[in-house]
Amino acid sequence: MAELIYREAVAEAIAQEMRRDESVVFLGEDIAKAGGVFKATVGLWEEFGDLRVRDTPISEQAILGAAMGAAMTGLKPIAEIMFSDFLAVCWDIICNQMAKSRYMTGGQVDMPLVIRTANGGGARFGAQHSQSLENWAMMIPGLKVVAPSTPADVKGLLAAAIRDPDPVIFFEQKSLYATKGEVPDGEHIEEIGKAKVVRDGDDVTLIALAMMVPRALEAAERLQAEAGISASVVDVRSLVPLDTQTILSEVRKTARVVTVEENPRLCGWGAEISSIIAEECFYDLDMPIVRITSPHIPLASADELEDIMIPSVDRIFETVRQEVD
Amino acid sequence: MAKKTTAKKKAPTNNAQLNDDIGEENRLKMYRLQLEVRHIEQRAHDLFFQNLIKGTSHLALGQEAIASGFGTALRPDDYTFCTYRGHAHTLVRGTSMTAMLGELMGKECGMLKGKGGSMHLTDVEKGAMGSYAIIGAHLPIAAGAAWQAQYNKTGQIAVCFFGDGTTNIGAFHEALNFAVIWDLPVVYVCENNLYMEYTPISEVTAVEHPAADRASAYGLESIIVDGNDADAVYRVAVTAFDKARSGGGPSLIEAKTYRHSGHSRADPAKYRPEGELEEWLKKDPIPMYRQRLLDYGVKEDVVKGIEDSVMAAVDEATEAAKASPPPPLEYAYTDVWADGGSSWRN
Amino acid sequence: MDVLMPQMGETVAEGTLTAWHKKVGDTVSASDILFEIGTDKVEMEVPAQIDGVLKEILVQAGDTVDVGTKLAVIEGSGEETNDAPAPAAPQPETPKAATPAPAQSPVAPLVDRPKRDRSMKLSPVVRKLLTENNLSHTDIVGTGRDGRIKRGDVLAYLKGPASVPSTPAPAEAPGAISGEGITVVPFSYRRKMTAEHMVRSKATSPHVLQAVEVDFSAVNKARQTIGPEWKRREGYSLTYLPFIAKAVCSAIKDFPRINGHIEKDHLVVFDRVNLAMAIDLNFEGLVAPVIRDADLKAVTEIARATHELARRARADELTPDEFANATYTISNNGSFGTLITAPIINQPQVAILSTDGITKRPIVIEHDGEDVIAIRPVGILAQSFDHRAIDGSYSGAFMRRVKEILEGKNWVESIS
Repeated sequence: MAELIYREAVAEAIAQEMRRDESVVFLGEDIAKAGGVFKATVGLWEEFGDLRVRDTPISEQAILGAAMGAAMTGLKPIAEIMFSDFLAVCWDIICNQMAKSRYMTGGQVDMPLVIRTANGGGARFGAQHSQSLENWAMMIPGLKVVAPSTPADVKGLLAAAIRDPDPVIFFEQKSLYATKGEVPDGEHIEEIGKAKVVRDGDDVTLIALAMMVPRALEAAERLQAEAGISASVVDVRSLVPLDTQTILSEVRKTARVVTVEENPRLCGWGAEISSIIAEECFYDLDMPIVRITSPHIPLASADELEDIMIPSVDRIFETVRQEVD
Repeated sequence: MAKKTTAKKKAPTNNAQLNDDIGEENRLKMYRLQLEVRHIEQRAHDLFFQNLIKGTSHLALGQEAIASGFGTALRPDDYTFCTYRGHAHTLVRGTSMTAMLGELMGKECGMLKGKGGSMHLTDVEKGAMGSYAIIGAHLPIAAGAAWQAQYNKTGQIAVCFFGDGTTNIGAFHEALNFAVIWDLPVVYVCENNLYMEYTPISEVTAVEHPAADRASAYGLESIIVDGNDADAVYRVAVTAFDKARSGGGPSLIEAKTYRHSGHSRADPAKYRPEGELEEWLKKDPIPMYRQRLLDYGVKEDVVKGIEDSVMAAVDEATEAAKASPPPPLEYAYTDVWADGGSSWRN
Repeated sequence: MDVLMPQMGETVAEGTLTAWHKKVGDTVSASDILFEIGTDKVEMEVPAQIDGVLKEILVQAGDTVDVGTKLAVIEGSGEETNDAPAPAAPQPETPKAATPAPAQSPVAPLVDRPKRDRSMKLSPVVRKLLTENNLSHTDIVGTGRDGRIKRGDVLAYLKGPASVPSTPAPAEAPGAISGEGITVVPFSYRRKMTAEHMVRSKATSPHVLQAVEVDFSAVNKARQTIGPEWKRREGYSLTYLPFIAKAVCSAIKDFPRINGHIEKDHLVVFDRVNLAMAIDLNFEGLVAPVIRDADLKAVTEIARATHELARRARADELTPDEFANATYTISNNGSFGTLITAPIINQPQVAILSTDGITKRPIVIEHDGEDVIAIRPVGILAQSFDHRAIDGSYSGAFMRRVKEILEGKNWVESIS
């Protein structure tokens, strides 16, 4: 075991996979010589050189189009889109081309690629550089969607994504880049499509993703200490494929569910999970399903304003305390 | 400098045949390919009016020489990318006519299992890496395929076909810049048929030659060719392909042509000025090329033999496709993921 | 300033505004009498409390509203006084942050949280557990917020009495016996509600009991005619009750004031007869679901409806609608063979009928001009009526009519 920083885990995962498979290549803006604007890919260009780690112009459509063409013809490309907000600029390649080509061609076309992107807020970048857009990807059939909360999951899930024969959109949370965590030594690989129960509890289940996971955990500590409420926490990790088995079995145990989502209210992933629970676990519920989300408003930039919009530990604590009887 | 060739009617002499850089074999192939495209497109037209082909399709009647010329110069392991008006480009890679007509009619024998339709014809085995229905999307994708060839040093190239309208969309500009700075072995071919869907291209483009006049913006040579002369096309193709294969980087070629029918099945093309269609019908590539073959000493019965065998092949493919049943309903749920399935949960 | 209905007396929930002393547009000073109110217990004059102009009147003289309801608006001219008026309007409970917020960060406001009404809602898991274990929610003590029954409460009940959360023992009366030999039976929610209703009913209505003795031989003829066939077909016996119910409905046509609701100073008489049938739930409580438009139904339909309601009541399947809009109630104690019962009126109805045991008794009848003794099935029907709305003569006449119908109607004919 070693302590790794979240951003270091990104580079480690890519290096791990590039060492074992010659067909893995990596392209993006400022990712090579500069090691990435978030310093998440430091050291890769030095180890693998110009041919495998390539800087590109500011051309998101070309970056992703090239990744797709390379994936279709035998390479395993990793493409970086600097901020998830920029996915909008190249969304055609993602949702119309990558997600659908295998299906439309009756299975002829391969698409083993990964798009990595820095997602979410908390860094005071303002509305156009802080969005939580994993939900855009979740709702397009043909895309796998992953959002890790710890360095160990970054390493393990990114490695899994690179090995995955299908297109994976990998959402790193930009405010988690500086966080630390224990990562197993040696080759580390996790399973895409498996959620993790990161805290056991009996009274209520908090379902969270990415940056909301550590906040849910902290709120759970307070709930136990100050309100005597025992909360379990589920880290969803993959939105597609979705580990409904783990989620539903937790729901049956506690009979109460609260989702904790960084995204704005409408059509967040918590809405889909709530719907599945309401349909398949209706008779196991002792409380209406509650969602904690950012309000349905663009994110403000000032400290106090952004902090009040993204669900905080306080808000998670207060909401659960009020709802659970 | 613009390169322009025109088809000249020449009396065959021994000298001409001796100096023939293209050769009879290639010419016969090009004639056959143009005929195949012409007859398949006309057959598709007829089947549409018999209500056996649904949805929409975009026919390349009148533009056959471009796909045929480039197609003949390709290696079998090269990659091609085309637009939704892509029956021709897919056919010239050697794909099965039955599979093509079957796909247009939504049958089980269709090359895409009935799941893509006219606008997405693909035959990966033959290097036909897809027909793309979003304007411009396949230009950077073609660059990616070329990147693979460069990375693995395979000597393959990627050839990307698109229309004049594509030259005004963002992906065109991103792809060209990208391909040039990475020296990718990709050839971009703009088929300028004078109309972006229903609007004359001249009305919506800042320059006269939508592709050729932009080449210099990317440090590329301006290349214009008569798209209705398969030989001219072939020569330009060979030059560009050799350049790409030898590490010389991409080319941008503008082939001038004209489409005989509307933009799509739904379009009777009433926006064309009077007389324009008639003028271009006089330059129909196929009668012109037939005469060229005769001029180069090919016997009439050989030419007729090609015509008959193509017709027979198209008829046979039509019957086989018609006889094929609709796709099994399970096909609706397969091929989202590499494992053949479509599940998003456990 | 909003003028609210004040609360006078701890247990008073509403008040009637009896008169306005000012009208809209009037200038008022703080000590002017603004309006008068009355409750069950007391009448009073209420001052304006601030200087200003009466801008709006929202409740009219004669209206009865809940305590705290906004009655009027005064636009204050000077500083509003914050003195609490002599009878203080109850302040709505302000939600407090239960735990002190950490010193540095402000407590985050909860974004758009809906207000939850937890009163007596059974959650899906609780319903499932009750059904699976053949329980009624009245069996379970709820320890959730607002007394809600939680999943844990049902699970605890199922585990056994040792784990039932202890409810505080009822306050012991002075001199009460305690120690061994005592079993505390806590009141279920239904028991508590019944207790409250009964006390209130007796406190509200001056009950008078009137009884008639009825010879049920005409009814019995019909019962014997189709009884066995009925039992075989329907699976249960055809009792006297549907006949009595039918007779009551017919009698109501002649004595409509029996079929009504009593308000403060008037009687609301209904055209439709919605008969509430009191049903016992295995000694655990009473419910009185309604047969709507019973007067339009045949005896056999009433029999079936009663049976079905009883079945559903015992299976805890009744919905709130099925208790609504009752106009008259019948309480059937006949199966116990009792002589007579003085039932308690189902508020706000005018009267309630008890049917008791029907047994073979010797009675005197006239036969060929002579008095002879005959053995007949006889039972007492006793009606408690509210003496505010009707008098003994009206009720007595109604009871006589019921008896006449039961004894004189050709029930065999009406049954076939």
